[in-house]
This record gives sequence, structure tokens and C-alpha cells, in this order.
Amino acid sequence: MANNSIKLLAPDVHRGLAELVSKRLGVPLTDCKIIRDPTGEVSFSIGESVRDQDIFIITQIGSGVVNDRVLELLIMINASKTASARRITAIIPNFPYARQDRKDKSRAPITAKLMADMLTTAGCDHVITMDLHASQIQGFFDVPVDNLYAEPSVVRYIKENVKYDEAIIISPDAGGAKRAAGLADRLDLNFALIHKERARANEVSRMVLVGDVTGKICIIVDDMADTCGTLAKAAEILLENRAQSVIAIVTHGVLSGNAINNINNSKLDRVVCTNTVPFEDKMKLCPKLDVIDISGVLAESIRRLHNGESISYLFKHYPL
Amino acid sequence: MSNNLVIFGGDSHPKLVAQICAQLDVQPSKVELGKFSNGETSIAVKSSVREKDVYVIQSGCGHVNDTFMQLLILISACKSASASRVTAVIPYFCYSRQPDIPYTAKGAPIISQRKSSGSASASTPAATPTAGGKTVTTTQRPGADSPFKSLDSAIRSTIQSPTPVRPPPTTVGSSRIPMIPEGGKLNRSGGQQTPQPPSSTSAEAEELFNAQNAGYKLWVVQAGTLIANLLTAAGADHVITMDLHDRQFPGFFDVPVDNLYCKPLVQNYIHHCIPGYRDAVVVSPDAGGAKRATAVADALELSFAMIHKERRSQLLKGPPDATLTSGADIPSKPLLQHNPPPAGAPALHRSGSSSSVSSASSSKFVQTTMIVGDVRGKTCILVDDLVDTSYTITRAAVLLKDQGATAVYAIATHGVFSGDALERIKRSPIDKIVVSNTIPQERTLAVLGKHRVDILDVSRVFGEAIRRIHNGESISMLFEYGW
Repeated sequence: MANNSIKLLAPDVHRGLAELVSKRLGVPLTDCKIIRDPTGEVSFSIGESVRDQDIFIITQIGSGVVNDRVLELLIMINASKTASARRITAIIPNFPYARQDRKDKSRAPITAKLMADMLTTAGCDHVITMDLHASQIQGFFDVPVDNLYAEPSVVRYIKENVKYDEAIIISPDAGGAKRAAGLADRLDLNFALIHKERARANEVSRMVLVGDVTGKICIIVDDMADTCGTLAKAAEILLENRAQSVIAIVTHGVLSGNAINNINNSKLDRVVCTNTVPFEDKMKLCPKLDVIDISGVLAESIRRLHNGESISYLFKHYPL
Repeated sequence: MSNNLVIFGGDSHPKLVAQICAQLDVQPSKVELGKFSNGETSIAVKSSVREKDVYVIQSGCGHVNDTFMQLLILISACKSASASRVTAVIPYFCYSRQPDIPYTAKGAPIISQRKSSGSASASTPAATPTAGGKTVTTTQRPGADSPFKSLDSAIRSTIQSPTPVRPPPTTVGSSRIPMIPEGGKLNRSGGQQTPQPPSSTSAEAEELFNAQNAGYKLWVVQAGTLIANLLTAAGADHVITMDLHDRQFPGFFDVPVDNLYCKPLVQNYIHHCIPGYRDAVVVSPDAGGAKRATAVADALELSFAMIHKERRSQLLKGPPDATLTSGADIPSKPLLQHNPPPAGAPALHRSGSSSSVSSASSSKFVQTTMIVGDVRGKTCILVDDLVDTSYTITRAAVLLKDQGATAVYAIATHGVFSGDALERIKRSPIDKIVVSNTIPQERTLAVLGKHRVDILDVSRVFGEAIRRIHNGESISMLFEYGW
């Protein structure tokens, strides 16, 4: 195994997370350059030899130009593959198209499966992601997928930043009940659920609260915040039910569309997202946003993966 | 037409989809194309495709990555909805070219930001900076401190500082001595100077980085295989495209690829729309396209000429140990002797040449352009497969007019026209530009006006190819005669 070391690669945009991981690992980011055609075609060049190296490509996929990021990632993977890398691990904390994971209507595309096929086709040997919308997506892949959890980081955040003896964990929909219940168990807190009837994607129709939130600090927990319409509506319902205050903790703060307006105009005290999605620019526009840094989890998983150690420790514990 | 055929169009080129469907006398099937609020592509196929023969038409234009992902998702949706066969119809195939990256003399790519300014002139060639490895002496470790940062400006600053430049060899006379660029970018103070090290250390590091890594440590990805595999992974069973830049490209696929040709349409256009075409000359704007152009010339029995572009590194010229001096004595006017062709000379001779030098940022590269073949007093027809930045054809047109061509037509299959390509063509001496509608050309018509643009309609070729492939007939006659 001589000369087999970690190489970290990141595209030239949204390098924030990659730089944090790099700092934690003490491994500098490999020089690389993405070349963009005026028509949008992408080419890629690596500035040093990666032959027989252990490659980790860290990409943050936010809102907007998702397809550009996806093609960039695929081309980076393929470039590493053709440059004779030993193993290529794609680190995609916010897995794109994760919500297109089933045929919910006739002839609807299962784009998450397509993404999985494309990643394996490009030459990806391993995928690390975080809080997949549906953990069954791991089964779409022919290569190992490590689905990390933001939960230990969230637990730490709540313990350090919220008076959590007065808190209650809220799931904004029935689908997230398991995630919220798990967190409530970890913190030994009560748990309530908002039942919602969704008319169309990104639109909320009717919400019913199940459980008692009187005088509590409500912590809404979800895996993804998109336009934040659901969160704003949920906050209203919770306050109508005599909650003390409402904060929301989501893993992937995509914050697309008029999310910032929705948050600013909502009754939410705070919206906390992990840095799986780049939203530094939005923090300036919205004072209610806060960040949980998950680079430690990623860095530790990279280290463990490279050394062939178990990753399951990270599912329950926050690395020091 | 059998009711087994289903055609879907992506949103990149709806007009061509409508035209192809009109040729086939079918209606395009309904599909809802859109985006989720987070930027992910959403697709809803609105009619049944079970056991159908599905054709998905999407050109690689517009925002390439979005249209390509849309194509993949649409193919995947049809495949998972039990279509019996899914054929991707990609009139212009994106990612089929190698990116246009300047290379050093040793073959390593120089990675730099694409310049947005300084491209105004019709004859400005692409900047081609090169590594001045020999002249730089520095102890800085190569590759230290992120050498890609602002590489381009760093190179430029190196050039503006008194960079040692080799003087032209004393024996000027033969016709291919390259020219050192004129203009104020070089130190013209005169006299022999001892070489001064470039002032900017970051530039030193970067030059050294490129020099020491030349041809060895930098890779530029070739996306071709990846794109082919992605299409196969999405579920495409067959690919139809037109005039691929690389003839080898179909080999990247595991499924059959039908590469249609625009050539019959081009021949037809020349035959019917170019007055006095029998005396015209087919000109290839570069050596790479010579085969394509000769095929057209042969079919129409026209004579042929070629523009040859030579790019030579100054560093490779001259005696190996010559002292480096500043570019003081460099002639500012061309260097190439014009040898007027003797009367009755054979058709293929070097009838003219001109040298253009790359813009200021590429002092160490010298470009010589020459025409092989006689164009004086003739109509010239430039034939190429693709016009993107339009530098090649506008430069060729200038050269042809300089050499006495009476009219210049430029015919290309794919008119990508990125950046300010259309403005450059507008200013160029090209009399008429002819492109096919594999890519929407509304903007071309708007900028250049109807009298300077002709559009070749490829929908008949694609329509007939789809009909024949659907019916299991041979399509080889389309290669020869068009439709």
C-alpha cells in the first residue's frame, strides 16, 4: 500500500465545506481546475498525479444550477478514473434528485436511480452522503453507500444552544416522524407531529397538530428545507397551540425560491441548517439562519474509510 | 405511420421537433418539462409508452448541462415506463469536442480563465501563452501555493515585464520564419540586455509549474466516453446524431450510433444557391477539416484549397545556447516573402501566406497562416463542421479576401456561435454564412440579417432516418443522397 494517500478534490465553486474538511484532515486540496465553455460544457484538469491514490471528491450541491454541479461531479469522477486512481469516493452530502426516488405517478422518472447509475457509470467506487431523503436510495447503487447522519451534530447543537429541558421535538410531516422520534429519544424529550396534506409539490394545504406543545420550545426537525413554506406554516400552527417559541433544524437547507422571505416573515425564531448545502450568501440576507458544521463528521468518515475502519461509530457519536 | 411510434421533444429546440414531426406526419407526444424550485429538472410523461418505439429529440444547445440532464431523465422515464426501445436523437451532440485549451510546446495544457475582453477584432487569434521554462530560474517549489490562481493575468504580467525573448534567427529569408509580435508589450529599449528575471514571483512559480509539468502532470478530461456511457446508463438503445466532430465518437458507445451527414444538403446548396459554383473553390479553414472539405469538393468536382495554420514556439527555434536578449530588433512587419505565383503554375502551390501573431499574451508563440491552393478571382466556399467562436472562419475569410477571392461563403453544419461570435462574423468579410438548424438560429438571423444567412433544414434527414429506423429499413442511402 505504498504511496496510497488521501487526495481531496473539490470543484472551484462552493469550496467552503471542502476547505473545512481539508483543514480537519490536514490534507491540502489537490490543485484542479474546471474549465467552462461559454455554452456550459465543462472540462476538468487535475494538477498533480493521482495514480494509485485514494480520491475523495467533495461537492456541495445547492439550489439553482443543480445539473451543472452534477455534470461537473461526474466529469471529475471520470477524470480521476482515467488518471488511474485506486479508489474514488464521491462525497455528496446533499444527494441531488433524492426526492425523485419512486414512481409516484405513471411514467414519472426515478431520477435518483438514474443519478446512482450515472455515478457508477462515471467510475465512482464509493459514495458518502448524509441524511438521504429515503435511505432505500442506497439500494439503487451497485457500490457501497455510507449514509451518514447529521443527528449527532444536531444533538450537540441542541444541547449547547437550546434550553432543552423545556423543548419538544416536532416532526413537520408523517414521513419525518421516525427521524424526529429518534432525536427525541436521544435527548429524552417529548415528541409531537404535524400531519399535513400536500396538494402539490412545494405547496401546503392543511395541517393538524398531534400532541401537546403548550409552553414548550418547539424544535421542528426535518431533512430538507426548500421554500420553507411548510416550516413557516408549521410555526404558525405551533404558536396557535400556545407554544413558547419555535426553531427549525434541517439537515439540507436548500432554501430555494423565496425561502428567505418566507423565513423572515415567519414566526420562526431561528432556522438552523447544516453546511451540506452552501448558503453563506443567504446568511447575510436572513439573520434567523444559523449553521451546524458537519465537516468533522465528513473528515472523520474519510479518515476511517481510508484506513479501513468502521464508520458506524459516527452514526451515534459526534467525533471530537 | 404505425401508431407504435412516439416522439418526445426536449425544450432545447422545439421548432426542429415540430418540423421533424411534420415530416413524419405525427404529433409529438405530450411531456411536461420543468424545474423544481431547487433547480432540479422535473419531467412528467403524459402519454403511454408501454411497448412503444420512443424517439427523444434534444439538441445539445442552450444551457448544455440542463438540456443533457433533461434528455437523460426523459430517456430514463421512458425506459422505466416499459418502452420497448428508446432512441436519443441529438442533432448537435454536446461534449463531442475536446475543449479549446491552449497547450504548451510540450503538450501540457495551460489552464487559464477564458478571457472575455480583447476578443473584439475579427482576426484576433485565441491567446496561446506558453511556458518560458528555460529562462526562469527560481527556487520556488513548483506547484506551491495554488498555482492556478489567476494564472492568466500572471502570465500576462510576466510578458509585460522585460521577459527575455530570443531574437529572430539572423538568416531571415525562407518563407516560414515566424514573426515576433509587434506592439508595446515587449521591451523595445534596444541593445543587448542581460536577461532580467521576471518581476512577479507568482508568475515565476506558475511558469515553472507549467514548464516542469509540461506533458506530464496535467490532464484534461475527455468527456466523450463518459457522455456515451451516461446515455447508455440512462437507457438509450440507439443514438441518432449528425456530423460528429470526431469520426471515432460512435466507438465510445455500446449501442448503435447513426451519424447522419449534412454533406448532401451542403452539396445541394452549393449546386443550387451559389452562382457560378463550377468555378468556385472549396476551402478548408484548417488542416483538421481537410478531409471533410475534399469530400465536398470531390463530389461537386470543384477545386480545393486549404488554409494551414502553423503555431511554432519561439523557444524551439534558434541555436540552443544563444544568449537571450530582449526583443529589441524584432521587425514589426511581416517576415514572409511573397512569391507571386508564376503564370501557369500548377493548381496546388503556395499562393500566398500571411502571418498573424497571437495577441499580446502569447509572445513566444508565432502563428503563420498560409493558403495552399489558388483562390485569386474565385468564389470561395469555406466548409467546416462547426462554428463556435468563429475565430477560424473569420480569419480564413480575411485571408481569402486578401488573396483576391471575389466572394466568401462559409458553410457549417452546427452554428454554435458562442460569445460574440456573431458580431465577429458581422464585421468579417464573409458574404454569406450557411448553417443548418441543428441548433436554433433565430439569433443568427437577427444579428446578421436574412441576406447574409441561409439555413439548411435538416428535419427531412432526421425525419426520414427516424422513419427508416422505426421500420427497420436501411438508412445508408441518407448518407449519400440526403433527403
